[in-house]
Amino acid sequence: MSLRQKLLLLFSLTVAAAVAAVAWTVLVRIRRVFEQRDQEETALFVSQFQREFQHRSAEVAAAVDRLAAGEGARAMALELVQTGDASPYLTAAQTMAQDAQLDFLEIVGPDGNVVSSAQWPARFGYPEPAVFNAANQPFLKREQLPDGSTALGLFAVRSIRGTDPPVKLIGGARLDQSFLADLPVAPGMQIGLYSDPQTAVNADLATGATSSAAAAYDPTRLVGVDGNLPGAAHYQRLIETALKSGAQTNGIVDPTARREDSLNATATPLKNQSGDAMAVLIVALSRAGMVEAQQHIRAIAYGVAAGGILLAIAFSLWIAARFSRPIEQLARAAEEVAGGNWDVRVRPRGRDEVSVLARSFNHMTARLADQRERLIQSERVAAWRELARRLAHELKNPLFPLQLTVENLVRARELPQEEFDEVFRESTSTLNAEIANLKKIVGRFSDFSKMPKPELERIEASDVIWRVALLHCPWLVRGVKDSGEGYVGPAPIGCSVELSLEPMPLNADPELLHRALSNLVLNAIDAMPNGGTLTLSARPIGDKVELRVADTGEGLTPEECERLFTPYYTTKQHGTGLGLAIVQSVVADHAGTISVESHAGGGAAFIIMLPKAGA
Amino acid sequence: MFRRCAISFFLVPAFLVLAEGGAWARTRPHYGGTLRMEIAGDGIASPDATVLHLLLDGLTRFGADGALHPALAMNWKSEDSGHRWEFSLRPGVQFHNGVPLTADRVVASLNLACNGDCPWTTVHAVGQSVVFVGDSPMPNLPWLLAEKQFLIRLTDAGEDKVPACCVGTGPFQIGAQSNPELFQLTANEGYWGGRPFVDKIQVATGKSIRDQWLDLSLGRADVVEVPAEDLRQAQQQRLTIVAAPAAELLALEIGETGALANPMLRSSIAEAVDRSALFNVIFQKQGEITASLLPQELTGFSFLFTTDRDLDKAHELRGGLACPPLTLNYDGNGAMQLAAQRISLNLREAGFDVQAVALKAPQHGDLTLRLLPLHGSEPAAAMEILLRAGGEQAPVEDGSPAALYRSERDYLARNTLVPLLDLPRAYAIGSRVRDFALLADGTPDLASASLEDAP
Repeated sequence: MSLRQKLLLLFSLTVAAAVAAVAWTVLVRIRRVFEQRDQEETALFVSQFQREFQHRSAEVAAAVDRLAAGEGARAMALELVQTGDASPYLTAAQTMAQDAQLDFLEIVGPDGNVVSSAQWPARFGYPEPAVFNAANQPFLKREQLPDGSTALGLFAVRSIRGTDPPVKLIGGARLDQSFLADLPVAPGMQIGLYSDPQTAVNADLATGATSSAAAAYDPTRLVGVDGNLPGAAHYQRLIETALKSGAQTNGIVDPTARREDSLNATATPLKNQSGDAMAVLIVALSRAGMVEAQQHIRAIAYGVAAGGILLAIAFSLWIAARFSRPIEQLARAAEEVAGGNWDVRVRPRGRDEVSVLARSFNHMTARLADQRERLIQSERVAAWRELARRLAHELKNPLFPLQLTVENLVRARELPQEEFDEVFRESTSTLNAEIANLKKIVGRFSDFSKMPKPELERIEASDVIWRVALLHCPWLVRGVKDSGEGYVGPAPIGCSVELSLEPMPLNADPELLHRALSNLVLNAIDAMPNGGTLTLSARPIGDKVELRVADTGEGLTPEECERLFTPYYTTKQHGTGLGLAIVQSVVADHAGTISVESHAGGGAAFIIMLPKAGA
Repeated sequence: MFRRCAISFFLVPAFLVLAEGGAWARTRPHYGGTLRMEIAGDGIASPDATVLHLLLDGLTRFGADGALHPALAMNWKSEDSGHRWEFSLRPGVQFHNGVPLTADRVVASLNLACNGDCPWTTVHAVGQSVVFVGDSPMPNLPWLLAEKQFLIRLTDAGEDKVPACCVGTGPFQIGAQSNPELFQLTANEGYWGGRPFVDKIQVATGKSIRDQWLDLSLGRADVVEVPAEDLRQAQQQRLTIVAAPAAELLALEIGETGALANPMLRSSIAEAVDRSALFNVIFQKQGEITASLLPQELTGFSFLFTTDRDLDKAHELRGGLACPPLTLNYDGNGAMQLAAQRISLNLREAGFDVQAVALKAPQHGDLTLRLLPLHGSEPAAAMEILLRAGGEQAPVEDGSPAALYRSERDYLARNTLVPLLDLPRAYAIGSRVRDFALLADGTPDLASASLEDAP
């Protein structure tokens, strides 16, 4: 990935992250604000309902108060106490309840037994325990009805004055659908009343004692203004929590999968005198408006964020290009320098660090080119000197015998003819030998200077190895690693060939490669004057092929290893120092490398790495 | 002093003469006028069948004293130990449309009335006599024939505009202006028992008790109903009440199917019912608490059946047996509804789950609260009538009180019918009505009534 791409990615990610963080923060904040407002609105309505509830309670209490204070009730109470005959008042409660517009009314005699019941006239004579512990304040009570059902009501108990023990009235209003219908409901609001089946009263009619039985949530018991509340089943968690905790509970109710249909619901438990929750009042406010507003704002935020990110990417492109262009030029220039073109220059712009770097780069390349020129000059001089020294040295050796032979020949002119002829023959022979030696030396130098250009062809590395091995170790049998021993030279040297079974194709000149390997083999044989083992091996390593020629001679010192491939450097007494130079030249012409591994006393191994030919 | 005595001597005889004349004027019935009656029922199909009794006659009828009297049959005799009865028809009787009453028409009417539950096996005409033949003895047949079910009507009224149900031989005939809400009855001039005193009777049906009483107080009605539970209130309002003391038996019928096939559960239910609450409060202490089928004054052994509630025994009899929810059917509203609800409450205390349900036509369900007729002064006949009304078809043999007691005791021991209260039937009459009386079954004898202001 280029610097520009990295910069672009970095800038884009940074800006996108920043925009996303801002958008998220804004959205979260807006949602919280909306939810807070929604909850405040719901709380307002809930408090309004509670006031309405208290108002209804007060109305019930006032109605029972008026009945208890009425002349008819007082006369009835007096006669009840005096005669003890309750039969004339069997239907009195119905009449009184009708007059006072109460749903429930019972006249309870001094003995605590019902004298007359509006809601269940047949219940006369049975006890009504609610009148004994009733506070002055209205309270919730579940009332049994003749059809076996129960109804929840707001009740108040009042004593009829003027009798002792008192005759009491317990009257109430039903909390049901009609009660909900009278409550003020805002648009988008749903109200419901859940009568807890868990508090269904199993009344002991003889004692008036009641008991409760556990029951599961029943959605049909949640009634709204128009019958069953839509999606009643979804209020289960809220209602159960309110019933269990006895405290007001808020929550989001999702009747459908659409968020617009969700409701912010508040469940307010309605408790009886004992503090047991008998019913739950549900006030649910539609979140449609809030959700739509949130979605609108979110859409805007997403649009702004997307636009911001696009702008940021465009800006990042420009910034990245501006920042990376000089660096890219520097990189390209550096690559050209690495490729050998030291004349490349970078145009500095401005005064920033990159322009300083560009100027430094230009200065550096100029210095490098200058130094290279000097180095070339000095190396050339040194090479000529070395060549001259080596040439002088090489030529000096045959020249001295030539000089002695010529001087002997001159002195032999004084000798008799026969002796002179004999000296002449010997001298000419010596001269011929030395001249041949000189020719040979000159030929080597000539060969080195005229290295042929490789003619590449697809060959198998194993073929090259075996060709060299069979040349120098003819007793070997191809395909057998150690097929025998023989003597190469004066000392016993064993040969070993180790080849990978995998194909090792090479694009190489087989003759040049054979010549290079033969040089290495001859060097290895020379390095083992007391015998040893010569190992030739080839193996593929990745996309290269490794050719190795190893011996078990005395090895090379590190200094020798450093200078080994320097032309005309030799450790041999009669070497020209051109052998390894020629090998290195051949390997370089094949785009390969050569190296040496050696430890003092541990032998040496020359390793040639050549690129594997493509398929 | 002498002067004063002389004046008194002349005035006192004059006053006595005038007073005697006035009393004579009050006691002698006048013919004419229209008597207006209001009832809650429909007058035809309702159990009391007030209108039907004015239009139709039976072969026999009950008198005000409960004794059996001849009606369309002048006399009757039984043969073959009550297996065969022959009733001789009154001669010269005609239906309202002038069709003569014959034995064949009586047989046709009786056959029409039978739905397979008649006491006889066959009925046929023999001259001017109607002969009943039964596979089993029919000891109480004359009394049974006085029942509403066996009133004689003309079955082939033809194209007469009068409904077929209502062409009979009774003291009144139905007028052309009649409709189901207001029956217009006119006096049958050729009634075999003598022309009724009033010319017309208007019977308004389907009126609530409150409306009836209001119309009576405003002078818009002459005879209105007074249910037993309202008798006390009517007396407090100083209405003129005419009542038959024990005309109906309030009883709880217990089915013998399902869980109630268990006699212990039926006994438990019978023990759990609180009669005193029904009597003291719901029926406002009217009538009598009873645990027997017939009233004490009729049999003399009613007191032997205990009326007390025993809730502990009810629990004991139930023995923790699980009983499915039961339905208590009742007919009517007002006190009957209240009584049914109260009995449901009583039974809940005993561990039964009972729901009171109003039915227009009471069926034989789990439990049924019924009003059964108490007709006649003959105990065996009254009992058979009562049991037949309750669905029991077996004849009750006339015998000694001890035998009758054993028969009733054995029947009640099954606990399929639990007697609760003997209830009166009463009417309130306006000031212009005279000689208004009730027959023994509580049916108004309007043929004998007259109006004070009749011309």
